[in-house]
Amino acid sequence: MSDNGYAIRLEGVTKRFGKHTAVSGFDFEVPRGVICGLLGPNGSGKTTSIRMIMGILNPDEGSVSLFGEDPDKTRREKVGYLPEERGIYKKMKVIELLTFFAEIRGVKRSEGRKKAGVWLERLGLSAWGDKRADDLSKGMQQKVQFIGTVLHDPELLILDEPFSGLDPINQDVLEEIVRDFHAKGTTILFSTHLMHQAEQLCERVCLISNAKKVLDADLKALKASERKGIVAVEFEGPDDWIRGPEVDHTEEIDNGLHLILRDGADHQAILKRGVDSEARILRFDLVEPKLHEIFVRHAGAGSVGDAGMPAGAHPGGVS
Amino acid sequence: MSNVWAVIRREYLQRVRSKWFVIATIGGPLFMIGITVLPAYFMVQNESDSRIVAIVDGTGVLYDRVAPRFEAAGYDVREEEWNVDIQTELRQSTTEGDLGGFLMMDDLTLETGDATFYVTDRPSSIRSLSLQSAVTRSALEYQLTQQGVDADAMLQGGGLNIEMLSDEGANENEPAFFVAYIGAFFLYMVILLYSVAVMRATLEEKTNRVVEVIISSMKPWHLMLGKIVGVGAVGLTQMAVWLASGALLAGAGIPALVAARPEMVGLESIKEVLPGLGMLALFLCFFILGFFMFSGLYAAVGAMCNSDEEAQQAQFPVIMLLIVPIIFVMQVIQDPMSTLATTLSLIPIFSPILMWARVAGGGVPAWQVGLSFVLMTITVFAIAWLAGRIYKVGILMAGKRPTLPELWRWVREA
Repeated sequence: MSDNGYAIRLEGVTKRFGKHTAVSGFDFEVPRGVICGLLGPNGSGKTTSIRMIMGILNPDEGSVSLFGEDPDKTRREKVGYLPEERGIYKKMKVIELLTFFAEIRGVKRSEGRKKAGVWLERLGLSAWGDKRADDLSKGMQQKVQFIGTVLHDPELLILDEPFSGLDPINQDVLEEIVRDFHAKGTTILFSTHLMHQAEQLCERVCLISNAKKVLDADLKALKASERKGIVAVEFEGPDDWIRGPEVDHTEEIDNGLHLILRDGADHQAILKRGVDSEARILRFDLVEPKLHEIFVRHAGAGSVGDAGMPAGAHPGGVS
Repeated sequence: MSNVWAVIRREYLQRVRSKWFVIATIGGPLFMIGITVLPAYFMVQNESDSRIVAIVDGTGVLYDRVAPRFEAAGYDVREEEWNVDIQTELRQSTTEGDLGGFLMMDDLTLETGDATFYVTDRPSSIRSLSLQSAVTRSALEYQLTQQGVDADAMLQGGGLNIEMLSDEGANENEPAFFVAYIGAFFLYMVILLYSVAVMRATLEEKTNRVVEVIISSMKPWHLMLGKIVGVGAVGLTQMAVWLASGALLAGAGIPALVAARPEMVGLESIKEVLPGLGMLALFLCFFILGFFMFSGLYAAVGAMCNSDEEAQQAQFPVIMLLIVPIIFVMQVIQDPMSTLATTLSLIPIFSPILMWARVAGGGVPAWQVGLSFVLMTITVFAIAWLAGRIYKVGILMAGKRPTLPELWRWVREA
């Protein structure tokens, strides 16, 4: 282990395909033990960046290091990689396929086979070990591929769009496994264009758009700095209490209102008026800025496409 | 290197366990036996049941020579004295089924070997030939013996003693056209077969995107090496099975068949043209070097294409390198020491087929064979270097097939 605190470090990485620049001057660091989301719309350069980290593409400019070392030395044994375009040998038996994937990552055959069995069990696929891979459904194949990614207990997991193509139940299963790895201290970088997925999982996010990095920060700190005074309220009875010097204007939302506060105003005063009034308050909720909104704010509307969450009320809150 | 072993093992086991391998490996020899031995066997089998043949010997000297030969061909023979009505009588007993047929020989038989065999069912072509030679040989023997000639030795083909007056090729085998010609075609076939298998495997990995996972944990060159060695091992396994079954057929099958059906004694002559162990070893060396050269080229073709159709077109220049020597193989066998034969067979990419043809045909100086092996080995490494670079870039490339200048840039930049 080196004393370098970063699992991944990219410095000024640029990649061009002919006249098209896919990634431009990308500086990016992922500290050890962190779950980091690489976010951006389709075609923004996420997969190209990941392929350069994995040594599948060579950057035209800049450098990549993993754990402070030459990536060619560390990649094979320390890194697990789930590519965006999934690929398995369709005619192989699942268990043999997994043993092969483990073997090329430096795991002994017998050990790889054993671990593959454990993982198949965990993901509910133990009955499928002796089946040919193309007998499995798409979702199952994807789970098999994920198992192939982690059999050598990597210190760094790089997952390119890991959730795409999975049903909600399996998305949850995968999310839980990613959390488990995180708890064990594994560094995880995953790309997604689904903002809510990133919001639930990530500690850090890196937003890229049109080949350029837009934002790279700790998610909590980012949200705190981006927080604007918005309160979602739901109530029955008179509404005179919501009007006051703190409130700039209101916007209607499903089942209630958004109160947009003036700069520096304190929401506490509004709440106090509400409690003293005749109204029955069902909900009084400070709205966190959505990653989607932050992204749109930084990258410009439209660049997120249809992928983000609709801006809406935060679930839960006072009731 | 454990990566390379993993690739070799996977490639080998997946193929050897597949249904197609089993079918081709076991079915191949069965098919060969099927199309050569069985028809002959059944033709003999299907003839009429009555095997009694009457021989009318108008010459008075041929019966003792012809009768044993007919017996060897599976007939029961009886002699009939010649008289004016004999032909009518025998015709009748033959049509009534008492006789299988009758053979008429007269003075003309002694001069030209012509005789007439009267039958109701046409004998098989194999049997006709052996009956015909029974008559002509008997006539020849008789005539030669009359002249005081050792007919047996003469008819065996005599013996031409070849005394070499130079050192060149002094210890070479006797010319063996059959081994040279069939061997060259077989080399063409197996080199093409397994090299194309490497191309398909590369293409499959590329199109189903497995390659991305694999390349992130090993050098592309190692992957290519593993695939080539794995497929090559499959080829050697398959040929070993074929050779073993061939040896079994020649060593046990044919003698057994001949014992059961004496009239098929002609099959024994196949053994005379079978190659020896030394030739087989040489054949395998030519195969291995040829396979390494062509599988490298085919791996590069697979890596630069995105679909089977594209690969079909792109392999054209490579397949030409295999077809050119096949075009010249006949000429080379007929005149193995000509300038053309020498030059072509020393071009490394043509050597597997053409140098084989010269060696098997006989009379090639050892130094030329040695030189061709050195040149082929150098070429194997050169192709591996070149193809490895194309492979490295191509295997991860999607989109249009590269043009030649683009290909050259890949090689330079990789």
